[in-house]
Amino acid sequence: MVKTILIAIVIFLIIFPVFILFKYSISDRDSIVTGGKYPEPFWPFNPNLKMFQSLLVRNDFLQSGMVSLEVGFLTVIFCLILGVPTAYALTRYRIPGTGVLLFFLLSIRLFPDISAVIPVAEQFFKRPLSYLPPVVLVSLAHTLLALPYAIYIAKGVFESIPKDLEEQSQVLGASKAYSFLRILTPLALPGLGAAAIYTFLLSWNEFVFAYFILFQGTDTTLPVYLLRILTWSPQKNFIAAISLLMCIPVIIFTFAVQRYMRTGLTAGAVK
Amino acid sequence: MPEKTKRYSIWEKLKDNLFILGITVPCFLYLFAFLIIVLFYLLKFSFSEGLPIISILSEAEFRNALLRTFWFMLIGTPLQLAVGIILALLVYESFKGVSLTRSLFLIPIAIPALVTAVIINLLFSYPFGHMNDLLSGKYTFFPKILELPLNFSGTEFFSIGLAMLGKVWRDMPISMLIILAGLQTIEKEGYEAAQIMGANFYQRFKYITLPLLTPAISTVLILRSIENWKEFIFPFVLAPAYPLLGVLIDRLYHVQQNPYMAGACALWLVLFIGATTFLFTFLTKTVRAYLVKV
Repeated sequence: MVKTILIAIVIFLIIFPVFILFKYSISDRDSIVTGGKYPEPFWPFNPNLKMFQSLLVRNDFLQSGMVSLEVGFLTVIFCLILGVPTAYALTRYRIPGTGVLLFFLLSIRLFPDISAVIPVAEQFFKRPLSYLPPVVLVSLAHTLLALPYAIYIAKGVFESIPKDLEEQSQVLGASKAYSFLRILTPLALPGLGAAAIYTFLLSWNEFVFAYFILFQGTDTTLPVYLLRILTWSPQKNFIAAISLLMCIPVIIFTFAVQRYMRTGLTAGAVK
Repeated sequence: MPEKTKRYSIWEKLKDNLFILGITVPCFLYLFAFLIIVLFYLLKFSFSEGLPIISILSEAEFRNALLRTFWFMLIGTPLQLAVGIILALLVYESFKGVSLTRSLFLIPIAIPALVTAVIINLLFSYPFGHMNDLLSGKYTFFPKILELPLNFSGTEFFSIGLAMLGKVWRDMPISMLIILAGLQTIEKEGYEAAQIMGANFYQRFKYITLPLLTPAISTVLILRSIENWKEFIFPFVLAPAYPLLGVLIDRLYHVQQNPYMAGACALWLVLFIGATTFLFTFLTKTVRAYLVKV
């Protein structure tokens, strides 16, 4: 009985903030500018979708959305190209010092983001890297953050696929590269999809590196855009609508890859 | 000649493993290059002219930020552990709808940290927001506590508290999952045996659950303390007037345009994290040795 009540309280504490965000995003003017005469209602007087309509034709918002998407996809591509073969080699071949290598993979993540960002940004502002477009620079930084997780997830995927399949193909005369590309990759695709989604979400949510690298430019990812908007002290419904739009892909994807998220979340546990 | 055959065999080995080398080296090179860059710049900035790593210690700004971050870590870490244990115990035993409940408990991790900060900002806005309306008795279901609306972000206690609230709320599922994984490794036989021998709930918790759960608890403590030290987004949005170390690094770098001081501060942060991790590892080992009696 006590347990049921506790669970209900926790669920309320989790749902309520999300509900409030939703409520503000569909609020009309009277429900947010009360002037103190009446309390803010828990359901808007005239719920409407005006904020979303106006956002979807706002150039700066769409622009940042595009930048976020580009950065996300580039990060996924970089991570998969660099990470998947490495994970494969680490699971399938006896490489001396695998334990050290695995620790080394995580070592860059031992630095707090806010400490690591200063050297990375300094390096990116110098030639020759500064010639690259900012979108590529941000995705390179995000690759650095996501790569260890991508490798850990991909490693888990490869470990779950029996080695016999490749051995048999190699007995039949396939090269190592061929058996990797044509035998293993198709089998591993669903799991690697999870790694890709995890990487994309990390990049989509990432704020610190994007904020430092894009500090002076005009390009912004969505989180950086949201922060810039915050400094103007905008209307509550406007800020809520942007936040909600930013959440939607995250919420959908998170529940799609819940099973694999655990690997990503606890990968740091071996530090 | 023996030397020649040796060289030949190394070449052969290389050629044999060319595929493996080709697919692993770029990745490790990339990570390694950045590891060197991070270390190099942090040391270069910290030990440049005037030794910023030493001179920053006498800055009042740095000392205040350090003290705030220390308290943030010291209160936030056990709080997050406690929340994690409570949530894990709630969904540990199966009941009707347990998987739905577990899924619901994972929602906070799906909300980006920046958005969580925005939500808290909206809820606690000044002068009129839900929390202020609630506390000044505008809703019929709640008594009046405040005469005047409270400016939460204007006081050190409340603004840092809100940042901590955001951090705890958003990271609940992570601690919960680790503790839950720890609970699931404990075998039921131990409890049954203890029950047969007449152990009550408290004794079972103290002599079975707690000792067997210490690895999970220590993982949570270490990971959370690192996270709390380096927290940036929540204090950055919710407590800009009272910087923690992370916010101070940003301020030194962007507002004061002083990468040397920022680098020194960043290096100190790394050192504090290292020291705390060491301390927590040692502490949990000692506690475990005390709890587990052979």
